[in-house]
Amino acid sequence: MFPVVVVHGGAGQVPKERSEGSSLGVRMAARAGYAILRGGGSSMDAVVEAVSQLENDPFFNAGRGSLLNIKGEVEMDAIVMDGKTLGCGAVSAVLNIANPIRLARLVMDKTSHVCLTAEGANRFARSVGVPEVPPESLVTEYSRMCWAKNLAPGTNRGDSQMSQMGKMGTVGAVAVDRQGNVACATSTGGVANKMEGRVGDTACIGSGGYADNQVGAVSSTGYGEAIMKVNLARLILFHMEQGQSVEAASGLGLAYMESRVGGLGGVVTVDPQGHWAARFSSLQMAWAAAQKDTLHYGMQTGEDFTHSIDDPL
Amino acid sequence: MSAVMVVHGGAWAIPHDLAEASVDGVKVAACEGFSVLQRGGSALDAVEAAVRALEDNTVFDAGHGAVLNADGEVELDAIIMDGRTLASGAVSSVNNIANPVSLARAVMEKTAHVLLTSRGANLFAESIGMATVPGDTLVTENERKAWRKNKNFATEVMEDFNCQAHDTVGAVAVDSAGNVACATSTGGIRNKMVGRVGDSSIIGAGGYADNLIGAVSCTGHGESILKVTLARLILSHIEQGKSLADASQLSLQYMGDRVRGAGGAIAVSPSGQWAATFTTERMAWSAVDHDGLWYGLDPNERLKEQWYDHLLPL
Repeated sequence: MFPVVVVHGGAGQVPKERSEGSSLGVRMAARAGYAILRGGGSSMDAVVEAVSQLENDPFFNAGRGSLLNIKGEVEMDAIVMDGKTLGCGAVSAVLNIANPIRLARLVMDKTSHVCLTAEGANRFARSVGVPEVPPESLVTEYSRMCWAKNLAPGTNRGDSQMSQMGKMGTVGAVAVDRQGNVACATSTGGVANKMEGRVGDTACIGSGGYADNQVGAVSSTGYGEAIMKVNLARLILFHMEQGQSVEAASGLGLAYMESRVGGLGGVVTVDPQGHWAARFSSLQMAWAAAQKDTLHYGMQTGEDFTHSIDDPL
Repeated sequence: MSAVMVVHGGAWAIPHDLAEASVDGVKVAACEGFSVLQRGGSALDAVEAAVRALEDNTVFDAGHGAVLNADGEVELDAIIMDGRTLASGAVSSVNNIANPVSLARAVMEKTAHVLLTSRGANLFAESIGMATVPGDTLVTENERKAWRKNKNFATEVMEDFNCQAHDTVGAVAVDSAGNVACATSTGGIRNKMVGRVGDSSIIGAGGYADNLIGAVSCTGHGESILKVTLARLILSHIEQGKSLADASQLSLQYMGDRVRGAGGAIAVSPSGQWAATFTTERMAWSAVDHDGLWYGLDPNERLKEQWYDHLLPL
């Protein structure tokens, strides 16, 4: 079994001028996660590290670079799940935190709860010494431009999936380590110009992500409401339980989501044996995977570029 | 195709002094919901009506009668789901709303979203003119007392969560058109951390409804229900050919084995089968089908109410 980490930077339609940055970002994140696995570290550490990097990277809709809600503010959701214990931590609608994924992990590790929301999540952050950052530090020129554009009359304000397919999406990662433990992590600023307090799939276990050592791990991205309606992560794992491969199960889940509720998206999936997949029904999804000292990556359907993990990016 | 209504009023070690009121409460709510179905109403309307009745009843931990969080305040979660379209609405951590299940329905029908939380959810309620009530009016004197007592004995050790009150409420129904729906509502667990969200607002955990399989509403230890996505798990077993009762039992057993959590679930199928199952000491539940009104509290209990017309709303 070869440990692997698979990372996605959001399913949607990546604007051409941002595709290079997105592709580089996911490759760097995959490499960081892989370094942990290669050193014998845990899949949980690997996915949290990979996602933290993507949160810090302004090219992605998570942490810094998050899309803004209707009021022009950043509200973030994140989830981690440990396949060994089914331990889970999530935060929803949290403000002014640089790395919601790390806060989600703290919810899992330091409380008897699974999910904390809004002011409660922020209060918990303060109680465990996670610093609050100035709200402007999370906002980028790009996110502000998207927000302003979506406010203009005549544009769909996150009502149709086309409008949020036009922007980059949620970030996430799955991994399996040397011990055969799987984990997932997903983080997002949510859909552009969402209503205040809107929580998407990312903070919802079974939708934005799920991990179970007996089956595998999934992290989802795409049209959040659709992902929730079909419980996409858990659905894919049900197919794997029924004997489908990571590739086939992911494809089945995405196809069902499209046919039943008209939603597009993407997933990264891994099983405890080290099989992995990066699948999407949207136009694009920036993704990268690292296994056996090889980096795989792509953006358009069918792309699977490879080079040695140690090659300069 | 005959309609079926099933409700639960929480899975936990319901004490003797609450037992009768709990059973009465679920019976009344089941009749409330069933009368909607009898008049040709939808499963969605029926589960909302049943859960509203349970929220208004202070004996249950939802809406009125909710337990208090660590700050001594009320935070409510609720979900509703339509099996025909998989449309869903949910709210988490709302206060000052007497019927969160109706707010959840409004999220489903009046927004492009599925889940709204906290301040955003409360703002939405205001924007649609939903009446707010002072948080205090949702709290009973008994709960205040119990909360104070609980606070005084609070320790750093994780409480034995299976002994806590888990009287989340919920309902599932199938209407005469074969549509299924579910709804779940709760005040959560006493002295929970501020902002703690349990299973009741999370689709696939606290509830799930799909015309192709059935509808489920869960109650019990929220964190455990979340970890095994209990509602969706039960439905996956039904998809694999298990009966509703076996699917529920298997899933609850799994939850106990894998994450040491206990709880209960009610389930209904599009063809009118139903089940009420639990691994806690007790669960107050009631069902109305073509055969009559059923109810139970203790394990393996399945009592029938001979005459229940008097329980149906006028």
